[in-house]
Amino acid sequence: MSTHLIAFFTLREALRRRVVLAAALLTLGYLVLYGVGVWFGYRDLQETQGGPPGLTEGVVSLMLVGGLWSLNFIASVLAVFLSVGALSGEVDQGTLHAIAARPVRRSEIVFGKFVGFTLMLAVFIGVSASLMILIVAVITGEVVGASWSGPFLMLLAAMLLIGLALAGSSRLSALPNGVIVFTLYATALIGGVIEQIGDVLESAVMFNIGVFSSVLVPTRAMWDMASAQLATGGFAGELSAGPFGASNPPSGWMLLIAALHLALTLGFAVRAFERRDF
Amino acid sequence: MSQPAAIHLSGVSKRYGRTLAVDDVSLSVAHGEVFGFLGPNGAGKSTIVKMVLGLTYPTAGEIEVLGQPVGSLAARAEVGYLPETFRFHDWLTASELLHFHARLARVSADVRSRRVRELLELVGLKDRANDRISTFSKGMMQRVGLAQALVGEPRLVILDEPTSALDPIGRRDVRDRIRELGECGVTVFLNSHLLSEVEQVCDRVAIIDHGSIVAEGKLDELLNAQEIELRAGEGAEAAARETLGEGGVRHINGRLRVRVANDDETARLIRRMIEAGVPVYDVRQVGDSLEDLFVRVAERGDV
Repeated sequence: MSTHLIAFFTLREALRRRVVLAAALLTLGYLVLYGVGVWFGYRDLQETQGGPPGLTEGVVSLMLVGGLWSLNFIASVLAVFLSVGALSGEVDQGTLHAIAARPVRRSEIVFGKFVGFTLMLAVFIGVSASLMILIVAVITGEVVGASWSGPFLMLLAAMLLIGLALAGSSRLSALPNGVIVFTLYATALIGGVIEQIGDVLESAVMFNIGVFSSVLVPTRAMWDMASAQLATGGFAGELSAGPFGASNPPSGWMLLIAALHLALTLGFAVRAFERRDF
Repeated sequence: MSQPAAIHLSGVSKRYGRTLAVDDVSLSVAHGEVFGFLGPNGAGKSTIVKMVLGLTYPTAGEIEVLGQPVGSLAARAEVGYLPETFRFHDWLTASELLHFHARLARVSADVRSRRVRELLELVGLKDRANDRISTFSKGMMQRVGLAQALVGEPRLVILDEPTSALDPIGRRDVRDRIRELGECGVTVFLNSHLLSEVEQVCDRVAIIDHGSIVAEGKLDELLNAQEIELRAGEGAEAAARETLGEGGVRHINGRLRVRVANDDETARLIRRMIEAGVPVYDVRQVGDSLEDLFVRVAERGDV
């Protein structure tokens, strides 16, 4: 099996080409800015007298969820950019010819790339989310969001996008594939907002459109589940409703749908890539 | 039992939409043969090379490589391939590229380092082993590409334009390598535009045009399908056409150039001319070059 060779190769390419370095530096800059924001925000919060019980904890939790939402967005963009031309781009450039002529299955190339990108995103999300939780804990003294499930669900969202982009990349070149994947990603994002409005207005049609978009591309649903895990405190639910999360977090079934989604996109990527002419 | 052919194509066609890129091609390359594959641009050469490597699927027909169905892992494990217009991941160093391909080709760990070192030395890149390929000249890239093709100790080597970016010395080196491979019993399938190169190293050639094989055979046989040049009086051309048919008779510099299959045909033609009262002043055999053959085939679609 050569999957691990391709995965390692994919990782090394990203490191060597400074994709990871660029993302790491930008994220570091973002974390510094974020830390400054939290520090001032928390100072102002402490000067506020009164308010309902649990206010401090709720606001700190919201600050963390907002920060992680941005990281989730960066991770999604990174996932799409890394994988959107991974197969067809390399076939068009001719760099995959010598590799595919070796005793390597096409499926191993697809899975190898998937594993490589997933590992990269796992490190990115793991390190940056941990740093963010640490920043909040050090500044505010409140330890919130210290659980594996949040970052794991963020990684799952990134994996869904990698699967989708690889499926498209098995046939389409990078530009049309990128347009399609981002459109689907945006559909899921907007679908989530429509679902929330539908929930508030008690409009079954709007609510169902939102749910349908989540089934079509469950990336937003993964984040909603993650934010529900992360948000703690007395009225976290109300506060996290809005751009950063859903008032009604998706049920556990959504995980199953996500797993099916991943299996379908990767299955399609392998089948289409196996039949493709170089 | 006779050994199966190193490459065997039978009735292979490839259609892209409405274009028929390869039309019912049958071809056999024997083990240990250095085989030259020629044809003008767009004739279908690269498509056939990619089908033999299992990178592109034929629309019809069967392909076997080293006795295995094309594309099977067992066949691919014994094939080395240098792609056309060398395209590799240029962020790798020469040594890293060879190590990576050695692992993909399932070269065992204990011999990998030695093999990579030897090959880098063979292609004259020992001193640049740890430099990135992106810093290499085209010729150096082609040389590291050749080393890559040989890293798995293949029984069949497919070289797509291996010397197009090389200077005369580099070309000679590659020719020597190809000859050495042939002497070691390795089958070489050489796709090249450089006719002199094919002429110098290949045992047998095939010429493809518009997706079909238009000439195939041992090089000396193909080239010895002779021509004679005649200086003769009026009526010579008519006599030649009468004796040998319309094809293969033409004028060059005021002389009559006639293709003949063998010496008997030459004798028959001269006898016919003398019988018809055509004065014959001079007859000489003309050697054919591969270039003549190639141009003739490409222009007229026959030999």
